[in-house]
Amino acid sequence: MNLHFSASQWRLLIAGVALAALVIGLIVYQSFELAEADNMWDAITGAPDWQNILFVDALIGVSVVLFILELRGDSMRILLTVGMALLFGFFMTAFFNLDAADKFVRGNFEVRILSDDDSPVDLSYEQDISGAFNNPDDPITEGRYSFLGAEGDKVTILAYAIEPESGLDMQVALLDESGAVVAEATEADRRVQKQYGDYVQSETDAAMRDVVLPADGLYTILAQPEGDTELQAEFGVALLSDHDSAAGLIYNGQAVEDIFNREGDTDPLKQVDYTFIGGEGDTVTLLAYAKRANVPVDLEVILYDEAGNKLAENFDANDEQVEAYEELKSTRDSIIESFVLPATASYRIHVQPQPLDLSTKLDETLDETVHAYDAFLLGPLSKLNRWMDWQRDAITLIMLGLAIAIVFRAEQFSLGAEGQLYLGALVAGVIGLSFGDVPRALLVPIALFSAATVGFLWGLLPGALKAYLDANELVSTLMLNTIAVKFYEMVITDQLTPPDAGFSASDWIPENGLLAPVITVEQNSITIAIYILIALILFSWLLIQRTPLGYEIRMIGANIKFADYGGVNTKRTIMLAMAISGAVAGLAGAHLALGVHRKLLLTISIGLAFEGVVVALLARNNPLVVPFTGLLYAYLRAGAQIMEREANISAEVVRIIQAVVILLITAEALVTFFQQRQVRRRGSGGESGDKQDRSLTPAEGGVHG
Amino acid sequence: MALIEATHIVKIYPNGVLANDQVYLSVEKGEIHALVGENGAGKSTLMKILYGLEHPTSGEIRLRDQLVEIHNPQVAIDMGIGMVHQNFMLVDSFTIAENIALGRESTLAAGLTLDRQKAIRDTQELSKQYGLFVEPNARVEAVPVGMRQRVEILKALYRGAEILILDEPTAVLTPRETQDLFTAVRNLVDEGKTVIFITHKLREVMEISDRVTVMRDARTVGTVNTAATNERELARMMVGREVFMQVDKPPVERGTPVLDVRGLTYVNEVGRTLLRDASFTCYEAEILGIAGVEGNGQTELVEVLTGLRTASAGEAYVDGTSVLGHGPRKIREAHVAHIPEDRLTNGVALTASIGDNLIVDRYYHPPVTQMGILDLNTIRANSADMIEQFNILAPSGDLPVASLSGGNMQKVVVARELSSDPRLLIAAQPTRGVDIGAIEYIHQQLVDQRTNGLAILLISADLQEVMKLSDRIMVMYEGEIVAVLPNTPDLTEDKLGLYMLGAERQPTAEMEQNR
Repeated sequence: MNLHFSASQWRLLIAGVALAALVIGLIVYQSFELAEADNMWDAITGAPDWQNILFVDALIGVSVVLFILELRGDSMRILLTVGMALLFGFFMTAFFNLDAADKFVRGNFEVRILSDDDSPVDLSYEQDISGAFNNPDDPITEGRYSFLGAEGDKVTILAYAIEPESGLDMQVALLDESGAVVAEATEADRRVQKQYGDYVQSETDAAMRDVVLPADGLYTILAQPEGDTELQAEFGVALLSDHDSAAGLIYNGQAVEDIFNREGDTDPLKQVDYTFIGGEGDTVTLLAYAKRANVPVDLEVILYDEAGNKLAENFDANDEQVEAYEELKSTRDSIIESFVLPATASYRIHVQPQPLDLSTKLDETLDETVHAYDAFLLGPLSKLNRWMDWQRDAITLIMLGLAIAIVFRAEQFSLGAEGQLYLGALVAGVIGLSFGDVPRALLVPIALFSAATVGFLWGLLPGALKAYLDANELVSTLMLNTIAVKFYEMVITDQLTPPDAGFSASDWIPENGLLAPVITVEQNSITIAIYILIALILFSWLLIQRTPLGYEIRMIGANIKFADYGGVNTKRTIMLAMAISGAVAGLAGAHLALGVHRKLLLTISIGLAFEGVVVALLARNNPLVVPFTGLLYAYLRAGAQIMEREANISAEVVRIIQAVVILLITAEALVTFFQQRQVRRRGSGGESGDKQDRSLTPAEGGVHG
Repeated sequence: MALIEATHIVKIYPNGVLANDQVYLSVEKGEIHALVGENGAGKSTLMKILYGLEHPTSGEIRLRDQLVEIHNPQVAIDMGIGMVHQNFMLVDSFTIAENIALGRESTLAAGLTLDRQKAIRDTQELSKQYGLFVEPNARVEAVPVGMRQRVEILKALYRGAEILILDEPTAVLTPRETQDLFTAVRNLVDEGKTVIFITHKLREVMEISDRVTVMRDARTVGTVNTAATNERELARMMVGREVFMQVDKPPVERGTPVLDVRGLTYVNEVGRTLLRDASFTCYEAEILGIAGVEGNGQTELVEVLTGLRTASAGEAYVDGTSVLGHGPRKIREAHVAHIPEDRLTNGVALTASIGDNLIVDRYYHPPVTQMGILDLNTIRANSADMIEQFNILAPSGDLPVASLSGGNMQKVVVARELSSDPRLLIAAQPTRGVDIGAIEYIHQQLVDQRTNGLAILLISADLQEVMKLSDRIMVMYEGEIVAVLPNTPDLTEDKLGLYMLGAERQPTAEMEQNR
């Protein structure tokens, strides 16, 4: 970092500070939810550990300034790429939301008829009805219930006492329109009791099984007590049939329900008709409504007479109607209110989802996309809790980014950070678990040091393999990752999981083994890892830019043959670069174990280390830029998670969108990376003369290549 | 009437480099037309445009007064334009006849077979017609560079080339081979062909060409009749100022031995002996030149002596200290400086800053590193110092070396090596790919340092350079030292050429005497 600022650097600094102020402002405004606060200052100071939160926000601002100062014009390119990627992601989200409006034509619904008049029919198939004999208020000695039947329908009629102990003995008869008895029964045998146990519980009840109706028409069920006609008791009548009822609905009866356009159905229900028998002059109200308030199906209802003439229709209920009828949940439901029937006849109710028009579809898609993207872009800031999640994730990613930046600076494609992270977590976690009675001031440094050491050694190993056996570091580190991860899983499963635990994970690490919290919001905390991180950033920067070892690392990265020629011990430098990177990755593991999870989980990271690669590449392997790119990347991750939770997009789709955004950003980083490599290899520079230089090497030169 | 004429050619590369700016070239039928200019002057770009490898941003090309557009090399070949590249485009494992036939047989109608007998017959015929001797049945990988080049020329002729572009054809040849090539080129012209000859060696221009076009900074400076000009004038046209071709080399008494090499041998991984039993001594205040066709063990000698390769046998002492077997740092700490033969491979790290490039041999001790921390002020002061002292054209030491021209990059290397307080400088191809102005400067630096007592081992493929600078000349052939000669005025290129091609070998006693 150059402290002698030139005019252009001053301009950059001002631009950086301005952008930082904007970012900090946005974060503070959103995360403290100042929009809803009466007094902003009170809202901020009301939050727990608010000074520390502001401190971390200030650090984020510093990372923005560093990003602009260090990358200069390149920073604009990165921001532009991120912007483009997000825009592209927006269109992808919209694409996956093109069917957003389909929710209006899909879902459970119910249909009912309400009326103050008596229904011409009392029952339809698969319904029951109850009454009471000799009730002082309304003394009846028989129950007459009519239903509409079709020729050939097979019906089962049950008459039974509601209270088996009441001593009521039932008999039942089925009469046709002229009053002639079609069938009758006085007993219910054991088979009937067994089959219809819900209704019939005693042989004193009466049952007619599988009576075949001789003709279309109105039938009457006559239920009477047998013997003691003075008995005061409640009874019930059930009409059961496998056939569809000729009259599906009756006044004030049970609602019928079904599902429109059920997902997965090959032949989904798109519309449905119900019939009912109405009496002349009856005033009826037809209701078609979503079964549950969270099902947004938009219904329309039309009433036809027997001849198919449309009598009435309704698409949307009004607010007063929604208020008046408890069945209605929203104005999307439909109602034909207080309709006077012109004749005693059969009527047809047609119910279907209201057809979608294009503008509804587009509106809905846009709404959903904006909603999803709002969650994606601002979600991580919407609550302090989420802000904390973002920060914790960012700390891990920045540590990993630093680790990768160190090896990548030496042009070593070590991907060993994953294994080093696991081993660091394991060692730190085991020390924390085992020595809970050692004071924290001693235990935590020991745990951290051990994690760094094991990471160092696990990096030294592939470094040595590369330096002395010329083993490709990409392959060796991936293999070592597998060994480390599987070893970790084995220890967790076999040794550290308490015997009575339901899943593989260690006990909670005792308080003394944990990193001390700096900010705590709702039991969620950011720990002193933030200070460790600051130290690591300074360390990495000093190491690379200001130490002889860093010089060696940079020269090896720029041109290893040049380093060799200049007398650099390249083997030692490669090993050290990989080992130091491992130590940093080990500390990231310790942060996860002692600061985030507070126990050893079976899976602590899936490919987190590889995301560290993206962070490092985006930062052009510059330790001072890694904090910004780490924060940015963690933000995108957190945003995607929140989008998944809050928006109506499936998890897979969120992953795809996230992957596309990251792919574009990574591609940008990779392009720059490979361009640099090409410069290193071939030497282009601004001068076309250099190309000629190269070709001056004669063909013969290949002999000693 | 001009056979081929390029007018107002402008070429801007996508990266914004203006490589040709209103360039004009007119070549008459049957002439040998030399195109000269420093590196980066735009010669290669112009030739690539004529051969269809690049497309001009604007400008016109006329062939026999017809306006033409050359979209790709195939179009160029169809028009009778052939090109022989510096890097030969031959299939090493095929025979010469197969290579020559390959281009034309590309429309292999009858399956994928090649009529070998016909190919051999055609090759022999062509070879005889143009006096370009080749062995049709030899594999390309087994024949010398000179013959490979003739194969390339024959290949172009076989495809019907009327205009032949030779891109720096002598860069890889010995003096003898160069003479053979010139004879062949004259034959071609006698047969009615036209030759465009690209070079930056002015002596060759004077010897072979009829007319010369000089380019500088992407522009055409002018076209002159060779008979009406001289080397000095051409150099002035190329550089844009007066150039002193001679170095000022005062006689000086050589001092005590600095480098003492005994029986140095290097066997490569596959068992080939590339350096055999080399013994010699290099003294204070002496330039010991090593002449030889490239690939005769010079590279191995340099790399073994500088620690980049491990010797298979033998010893080397610098001021009496054995230096081999411990890597480059130990050798550098014995005050050995090294200008590597390929600066882009070893000499610089392109993406690193000039300042960083200038400290690779001294970054780890004071004053650069103090208490474990690099002192940026020292690094900056050092680079500012070097930029001034060695006339490096760079606005700041913080810029990457990649932003420099070839000559200035080489100056960075020379600056670093000469400022390391060396006792011995091993300079391999110190002026390769460097423009005339920088050559002049580097030569003077080397001679001045030698006059001040430095021992210099100079390895160069450019025989003239070796003869101009050296006090003694050692010739290498097939990994062996075959002659050691004092650089007296009666030593001729032809005499050295005989040793270089292995035709002669100095008697041991005589060699021993000059060691």
